[in-house]
Amino acid sequence: MSRRGGRILGAGALGLATSACSSSFGMPRGGSEQGQEIFRLWQIFTFAGIAVAAIVYGLIGWSLIRYRRRKTDAPDALGRQFHANVPLEVVYTAIPVVIVVALFAVSFRGEERVGDLAADPAVTLHAEAFAWGWRFTYGGSGATVVSDPSGEDVDGPTIELPRGGTTRVILTSNDVIHAFWVPGFLFKRDAIPGRTTSFDITPTDTASFRGVCAEFCGLNHAYMTFTINVVEPDVFDAWVASQPSLGPEAP
Amino acid sequence: MSTTVEQPPAAEAPMEPERHGPVAWLTTTDHKKIGIMYCVTAFAFFLVGGALADMIRTELAEPGRQVVSTQTYNTLFTIHGTVMIFLFVAPFGAGLANYLIPLQIGAPDMAFPRLNALSYWFFVGGGALVLLSSFASAGGGAAMGWTAYTPLSEARMSPGVGPDLWILGIALVAIATLLTGVNILTTVFLLRAPGMTMWRLPIFTWNMVVTALLGLVAFPPAVAAFALLLVDRRLGGHAFDPLGGGDPVIYQHLFWFLGHPEVYILILPVFGVVTEIIPVFSRKPLFGYAGFVLATLAIGALSTGVWAHHMFTTGAVDNPFFSAMTLLIAVPTGVKFFNWIGSMWQGKIRMAVPMLFAVGFMANFLIGGVTGVMLASPPIDFQVADSYFLVAHFHYTMMGGAVFGIFAAIYFWHPKMTGRMLSERLGRLVFALLFVGFNLTFWPQFVVGMRGMPRRIVDYATGLGFDTPNLVSTIGAGVLTLGVLVFLFDVWHARRHPVLAGDDPWGGYSLEWATTSPPPERNFAALPKIRSERPAFDLHHPDVKP
Repeated sequence: MSRRGGRILGAGALGLATSACSSSFGMPRGGSEQGQEIFRLWQIFTFAGIAVAAIVYGLIGWSLIRYRRRKTDAPDALGRQFHANVPLEVVYTAIPVVIVVALFAVSFRGEERVGDLAADPAVTLHAEAFAWGWRFTYGGSGATVVSDPSGEDVDGPTIELPRGGTTRVILTSNDVIHAFWVPGFLFKRDAIPGRTTSFDITPTDTASFRGVCAEFCGLNHAYMTFTINVVEPDVFDAWVASQPSLGPEAP
Repeated sequence: MSTTVEQPPAAEAPMEPERHGPVAWLTTTDHKKIGIMYCVTAFAFFLVGGALADMIRTELAEPGRQVVSTQTYNTLFTIHGTVMIFLFVAPFGAGLANYLIPLQIGAPDMAFPRLNALSYWFFVGGGALVLLSSFASAGGGAAMGWTAYTPLSEARMSPGVGPDLWILGIALVAIATLLTGVNILTTVFLLRAPGMTMWRLPIFTWNMVVTALLGLVAFPPAVAAFALLLVDRRLGGHAFDPLGGGDPVIYQHLFWFLGHPEVYILILPVFGVVTEIIPVFSRKPLFGYAGFVLATLAIGALSTGVWAHHMFTTGAVDNPFFSAMTLLIAVPTGVKFFNWIGSMWQGKIRMAVPMLFAVGFMANFLIGGVTGVMLASPPIDFQVADSYFLVAHFHYTMMGGAVFGIFAAIYFWHPKMTGRMLSERLGRLVFALLFVGFNLTFWPQFVVGMRGMPRRIVDYATGLGFDTPNLVSTIGAGVLTLGVLVFLFDVWHARRHPVLAGDDPWGGYSLEWATTSPPPERNFAALPKIRSERPAFDLHHPDVKP
């Protein structure tokens, strides 16, 4: 390869790497602090995955082209009959070990940040899944929003959350296993009957987020949707105050 | 040329006259006939599962509900998953094992021929029950997903007879797997020909040893879980029902303690297949035989410690532990890729159809492996678990990986099993259609998964970026289906217009290529001397030092 060709190739690879580092690879960037943390992990894992795949595809492609049998070869021509190369084998075992240890380290730290529960959340939201809908109750005011019985033409319930404040979601189910998934927050958690589970969401964007049930739960699973509108805190306060309080006063 | 031959001990046993016709097949205890019946039956289940998948893809081609009712759709994906996993890929591996292991180790048959026949008929019976559980059962078919999570699969949520038949069917298939596992291990440990040491064992046979061990470890807890579920459903138990103090999370542990080793039970035989094929078509020995065997053992061991990565989003398991174990299992899998590349390096690679499928396997499985590493990170699962991203991931391993390996096996060993070649030209067409169709079907599913499309939904709203990828995916399923039809034509064509294969059309390495095609009833008239892991190669290339 000429020096100029090499320089162009190098620049191209650098450009590709730079754009890859900032690329979302098709993933939403995350409308919450926790979601953005997951998004960064996604970028790191995807970038590592693409790099490894490129090397392996390159080696496979090179072998197939360079070492193909040619018309000039005898019909019973053999390749070079070597069996093993222990130092090389140790190296290609050790390198993946290093890669996965590094990936584990970033994943572990990321999960700690995503799973961290704030000492004093601004809002507490009790979410109860049932076949096939949701019952959301706000702590303090007891404001409650419940799904209409679901079906193909029924819209799910809409709730609001304040931007910039941390919402503690306390999740359970009252019949089968469901899952609370907001793709725009890059987050889901299973709702398991007989258990409660808690996680925090700190929205950063005022926008409307679609939520779905992610764990198959029977007939109308596909229609078990909800909507979260993230609004400024004062708008949120007014909205909560205007909601009927159906449930018992929650702490 | 070395002409030393050793009589296999069984050749001296008195032979029954060979019988032909359907009765001979139905009553056979010959490992080759049982192996072929296993493969043909499993492939028939593949056609059933594929037809169900086509109905699923037709429903999902555009938003709205057009083709089937919601309940029917839920049964479709339940039976599709069950059939493909338990009735196609795993039994096809068992069929290859039945056919090949005695040949590869120089034995006249499996250790327990009658037990072998019993395994096959349990598998057929279990498969029939699973099919009955779909649409032929009173009060609703099985529609709880192939995972049958409780409490959804409890009688109060799924009252029909379908789930009961499904449980009994899976239990029968599980017993068949256990019996086959015992048979394989006994055969390999006790019936190897003189000179066939464990370190000369063909890689396919090695991989089946680990597969058999995994089956013995993983299936009993799952059968126990299914039995408890049946007690819950019909005898008033509450093992997994929170209303009676049971715990649905325990069910998930027991299920995935089977479920994750199961994916290696599905893929290890295929790793064995492509590891037989790549060196033969590169005209080289396998690079790093010992490393490959150790990697297979490592995969087997690690795969029993990763099950709860299916439960990262429950918030009820130790995510970091299972994340670390899952990341580690990528290492021995990566080693295998380097074994395959090393086996092609400086070879004389002949791109015949089996090699094409082996390369297609590597290309697809690599994407399945890389996305598997992503899924090993629990926070990434918080977004993509139970989404179409996950569906795409496991189809890249199971369909793009296992099924491409199965097609490689069919094109490689069909000449040995029948004495006739499949068509090289039709084979290339089959490969092209399957490879393009597969990637068209499943790549868009990564995209919709990231955009938030959950799995197992009959319908999706428009305007979410799901429409075009789903349409492309459905078109891809059509291309795949066409590829399978061309394949069936190829098999029919080979029956009607036979092209004789001869004993060794590929220049094969393991012992099955040192006997006739098809082999005689007791497999070998005489065995060549076994001096390396390539006895058939040594026979034809006495000049090459093993």
